[in-house]
Amino acid sequence: MTLRAITTVTGVECAKLRDQLAPRVVLAVCALGPFAFIAAMRLQNSTPDDTLFGRHVKESGFATPLVVLGFATLWVVPALTAVVAGDMFAAEDRYGTWRALLTRSRSRGEIFAGKVATAFCFSALALAVLAASSLVAGLVGIGSQPLVDLSGMPLAPARAMGRIAAAWASVLPPAFGITAVAVLLSIVTRSSVAGVGLPVVAALAMQLSVYIDGPDAPRRLLVTYGFGAWHGLLTEPPYYRPLVYGTTVSIAYLVVCLAVAHRVIVRRDIDG
Amino acid sequence: MEPALEAVGISKRYAGCDALSGVSLIAKPGELHGLLGPNGAGKTTLLRIVLGLVRRDAGTVRLFGRAVADPLGPLPDGVAGFVETPTFYPYLSGRRNLELLARLDDDRRGQNGSRVLDALRRVALTEAADVRVAAYSAGMRQRLGVAASLLRSPRVLLLDEPTSSLDPAGAQSVRDMVRRLAAEGVAVVLSSHDMSEVEALCEAVTIIDHGSVVYSGTIDGLRQAAPAPVHALHTSDDRAALALAAGRPALRAAAAADDNGLIVSADTGSLDAYVLALAEIGVAVRTLEHRGRSLEALFLHLTSAVRH
Repeated sequence: MTLRAITTVTGVECAKLRDQLAPRVVLAVCALGPFAFIAAMRLQNSTPDDTLFGRHVKESGFATPLVVLGFATLWVVPALTAVVAGDMFAAEDRYGTWRALLTRSRSRGEIFAGKVATAFCFSALALAVLAASSLVAGLVGIGSQPLVDLSGMPLAPARAMGRIAAAWASVLPPAFGITAVAVLLSIVTRSSVAGVGLPVVAALAMQLSVYIDGPDAPRRLLVTYGFGAWHGLLTEPPYYRPLVYGTTVSIAYLVVCLAVAHRVIVRRDIDG
Repeated sequence: MEPALEAVGISKRYAGCDALSGVSLIAKPGELHGLLGPNGAGKTTLLRIVLGLVRRDAGTVRLFGRAVADPLGPLPDGVAGFVETPTFYPYLSGRRNLELLARLDDDRRGQNGSRVLDALRRVALTEAADVRVAAYSAGMRQRLGVAASLLRSPRVLLLDEPTSSLDPAGAQSVRDMVRRLAAEGVAVVLSSHDMSEVEALCEAVTIIDHGSVVYSGTIDGLRQAAPAPVHALHTSDDRAALALAAGRPALRAAAAADDNGLIVSADTGSLDAYVLALAEIGVAVRTLEHRGRSLEALFLHLTSAVRH
């Protein structure tokens, strides 16, 4: 397996994505959704006070990306990441194209790695577009007033920008964990519906489980635990323990899911 | 001359059933090698194993003299082919599909464009090059599959019924192309149901039945092993004629492939007796046409396609 071969496969997969409707729709929604949100906020008198930073959404444009982030981590981020990852392998079964793909000069390991790299790149791209779009929408629609953090301290624009970037970056590990889950489901079930739908449903169920009474330890083992870690970055002083813990759990999901998925794909008979 | 492809003692089991049992297939450079067998005989499974799509349970595969160690590893350079109807990404054009497949073989994009165009031209798909594959007919997909194989500049080419969905002109074009490739030194393995096609195209043949090789050798050798002449028989009651044949060990009969009459294989004496017996049970013989010692008769003889 060589890096050049993996890059080649990634290039081919990206070219395929460019010609598909679903990834383009996802990126368009990521780019335009925050502007629609801000437009709705400007039309209504109330603010989403039950959401973190919701009460500040009309006071500072920097609150917008954080409100969007809080909402998106519930099910939007899992959906954004699963829409490509959950379909990437199952689509080859749906179209019957494994035969075409595996009778070229690339090994199964290289094709697996290239496809996984594409899925991760798309997840990161979708999150980056959503983050950038919500920041721009907030700044354009509301303004660049200082942001009041969770400790009640005002953050100057430059500092607020840094914290917002860190907050969005902190959801990358759990997003990648869910991407890996979607890849595994896509390979094992050979169904795009399962590959895309199950990670979203599972992530939503994990998120909702925090509202059920019970011991805290099992919740920390959920891949979605890391989605709340950004709260610690918006306090003064910031605390990082949930971030470290959530990232560790996400990496564990990622390694286990990809190891199992790789084993399945390199041993599978393409007999259908 | 060293064989380009040597698959020796290949076995494969699916859910407790032997799909292949010790099958061997050897093709030399420049040889057009037919792979024949009834449906479910194991032809496609054998091609899948050689193409690295399916793991073999036993046996060895050597390509250009080198053993293929990893049964599911990448396809060696110079080997190409397809099994069943070739499949492509339906949302991409034929040209785009080939460009992406070519990149998987060789990521020098600049040179791939001309190779793709040349491959499309050789299968007469230039005009439909920019049409989405979703709009292609089965025959066009088959031709695109051949084009995808040609992109690999094959020295071993494995084709699974490449003319099955083509119109007569398209089929002839593919036959001409494989003849040219063989003349250029490519070892072509042609799996086909069309026995006359194999007889006309190939100089060597391997016949598989129920996962085992029942004949492997030259077409000439197969002709010499012919058991008896074959006749096409049309009667007033083919079912009764078939039932009567079942009780005659010296005679082999089967319904014709198109369910139009019977194919009967027997020596002259046995055939005379059979015709007279048909008259005795009130079955009229409408036509009895000599078909010669064709590969079809030999195929029927060697495989379980014949109902005694």
